[in-house]
Amino acid sequence: MRFVLPNGLTVLLAPEPASPTASVWVWYRVGSKNEWPGVTGASHWVEHMLFQGSPRYGKGEMDRAVISVGGTLNAFTDTDFTAYFSTVPREHLHVPLDIESDRMTRALIAPAEVERERTIIRSEREGNENWPEFRAEEELFHLAYRLHPYRWDPLGYPEDILALTPADLAAYYRRYYGTRNAVLVIAGGFDAARTAADVRRRFGRLPAGGEDPTVRVVEPPGRGERRTTLTGPGTTPFLEMGWRGPAVGDPSAPALLLLDVLLGGETRLFRAGSTWGRSSEHPSARLYRRLVDPGLAIRATTEWRPRVHPGLFGLHAQASRGVSLDRIEATIDAELDRFRRTGPSARELREARTKIARGAALAYEGASRTGFRLGYFEMLGRPGFESDLLRRLFALRSRDLRDAAREIFRPEGRTVVRYEPTEGPGDA
Amino acid sequence: MTRESSDPLRVGRAVLASGLTVARQAVPDAARSFAASYIGPAGWAYDPDGAEGLARLVADLAPSAAGRRDRVALARALDELGATLTHRLAPESVEYSVHGPADTFEPLLDLLADVVLRPRLATEDLERVRRQLFERQLREAAQPESRADREVLRTIFPPGHPYRATGLGTRSAVARLTRPQLARFRAGHFTAAGAYLVVTSGRSLTEVVRAIRGRFTGFDREPAPAGPAIPAVRAGGPAPRDIRMPGRAQVEIRIGGASRPRSDPDYPAAFLANEVLGGRPLLSRLFQRVREVHGLAYHASSGLEPMRWGGYWQAQAGTGPERADRATALIRREIARLAREPVGTGELTTIRDSAVGEMPLALETTLGAHELAADVAYHDLPDDWLVNWPRALAAVGPEQLRRAARTWMDPGTAVVVRAGPLGPVAPVHRRQ
Repeated sequence: MRFVLPNGLTVLLAPEPASPTASVWVWYRVGSKNEWPGVTGASHWVEHMLFQGSPRYGKGEMDRAVISVGGTLNAFTDTDFTAYFSTVPREHLHVPLDIESDRMTRALIAPAEVERERTIIRSEREGNENWPEFRAEEELFHLAYRLHPYRWDPLGYPEDILALTPADLAAYYRRYYGTRNAVLVIAGGFDAARTAADVRRRFGRLPAGGEDPTVRVVEPPGRGERRTTLTGPGTTPFLEMGWRGPAVGDPSAPALLLLDVLLGGETRLFRAGSTWGRSSEHPSARLYRRLVDPGLAIRATTEWRPRVHPGLFGLHAQASRGVSLDRIEATIDAELDRFRRTGPSARELREARTKIARGAALAYEGASRTGFRLGYFEMLGRPGFESDLLRRLFALRSRDLRDAAREIFRPEGRTVVRYEPTEGPGDA
Repeated sequence: MTRESSDPLRVGRAVLASGLTVARQAVPDAARSFAASYIGPAGWAYDPDGAEGLARLVADLAPSAAGRRDRVALARALDELGATLTHRLAPESVEYSVHGPADTFEPLLDLLADVVLRPRLATEDLERVRRQLFERQLREAAQPESRADREVLRTIFPPGHPYRATGLGTRSAVARLTRPQLARFRAGHFTAAGAYLVVTSGRSLTEVVRAIRGRFTGFDREPAPAGPAIPAVRAGGPAPRDIRMPGRAQVEIRIGGASRPRSDPDYPAAFLANEVLGGRPLLSRLFQRVREVHGLAYHASSGLEPMRWGGYWQAQAGTGPERADRATALIRREIARLAREPVGTGELTTIRDSAVGEMPLALETTLGAHELAADVAYHDLPDDWLVNWPRALAAVGPEQLRRAARTWMDPGTAVVVRAGPLGPVAPVHRRQ
């Protein structure tokens, strides 16, 4: 069931009568794409502040209300959206609904709490900085984009984390958090008619709000390859490569999902299993066969993560001990050349389609995952977007994939970050 | 055999003539998949001296290629079924799990049986897995999180203790391991005796037993391997350790100690004690005090790992080097307070209600339920243990919780390990 309240709030209800739980997700079409230099990290920081109090819930009371009934709650910030979720035993569905309706437009962003949260945000970023992969990926985007806000990580620049003020965050929240930019998804064990009425009662009275979050900055096409080398603690050298790709709404998006499976072994959107994470063991994938099988690399993966604006098709390869990144890169180039010339074999294509179709089979098991997927696809596209994506994807032929590879893997659209560890690999 | 049940909180069991224990759990009402796990006595505690890393290498290699399938064919078979094959290794056991749509029951059990009974352990796969293990060894040493985790165990447990290692071995030991060694370890440790086959399925226990009996045959007639000797853990921890790792951004703090086995009757009280300290997300004392009140760290929590031969506990946080001393002191104060003062009734009620109330969340999916059943099976808990868990928690009072905190998470023997960009001057720690 899908409906839109007069104040602009979009509501999706996915009842599953047998479910012992109910999962409530609120998605806002605001993320780091809506920031600008000086306020990077604001979306993420506002996400933290939405747990720090609202008119009916004092600091910590939201957490307590959900967790004390056995529920779980959290939130995350991406480039294109911010999502808040709670999953509770079904009889407690009213608890997250009450919280979300209270903080959608009336969160308290108290200066003292902002200051206390500053060190927590710093700590979150520092924890990520301990990982060479985070540093390299941040650098990849920083290098690939010169104008578009995809240039910075949703955590924001360290300098901005030190400088942002409570007034900045409050203004950002007032500007973007509103019914018009929000999608409420409820999945699990509930009665649809009763819950729809409850939603109308709680959320229908909120004032219409939320400034248009459309980003009009267009990143100009690259005129040549960009590359850099980072050094620091680590194990063996690795590289992150990115090619400028299309936005999720582009007609070529389904081909990019298939390229992800053919080259790297899976697409995060349609993978079997219970998690959103990725695996690196895909022995039938092209890059695995060229790099991992012969012992050149420890792992080799790709990722095309659909984004509202043109994103990157990413490739990560970690060298085996004693193998140079030059050799890794040459092997990747040769394999991509081969793919550009011939495209996938009929068998490869059939297997990739099967992988996606079967991987989607259990994607909606459980209220939490259902709520996530419905909201995620709503953020990326329009109603019916997921099935449309799959339909178009299954219609693609080998030459479509070859053409897509020719279009995307252009040298002038490539960015390369090499990571060279400064500590020699000794006996651990 | 026990009676059938459609309640996923009840686990039915049967022991086959081979010694393999089959445990069956009903699929939660809203789920559409099935899961099965083999849990066998092949953890890294069984690594022979000088062959550290052997159990890990076997565990990682077995699912590469098995039966008639090489690794590509095996991966394709999983893709066609829309299924996953995962494994995890612990000190005491290895666990292989398959999960897929309900109609993949038969072919997925075939595949699981191949992995357990007929892994190829092929030479080309061995070299690839060995390289990956080398890299994991380096990563464990290079990352403050894993380095701190490793060092705290090395500090808590004496040489020879099965919980002292993390199972990755050393480069030189792993480099020496041969295929015959791997095959011998598999034959002696991927046994029927002392092992469990846990199935979460809509099928009855009788049907599950029939399916297992037909597939999981041909185990070597090995008895369950004898558990390792367990050296006594020293009373009182050694001096605190700071591991300086320049170039990193954050210090990882670990405070922990030896604990007690899961079979201890005080486990429900110890479980709640850990939940109060740092186990319960967002509500625990460490999260509240370290993060929410003092803003010292993004993550602050604790964990309790009770196993068969004992266990350990650990509090952890990650913070910038300039905040590390304050965070360390605060965590130590909270550990000591829990062992000293009874928990207030309101706090205990909230934590307990949360722990009891979360059971439906585990039953959202087949895998969530399956994890509970695997725990019941492996620890030989009663069939209705999950049903009675709320009552067990309800019986724990503040004083019992305090006593459990004192014995299971003893602040007097806790050790402190910190890894990351620490300053040149070692901070002074005082034992409490």
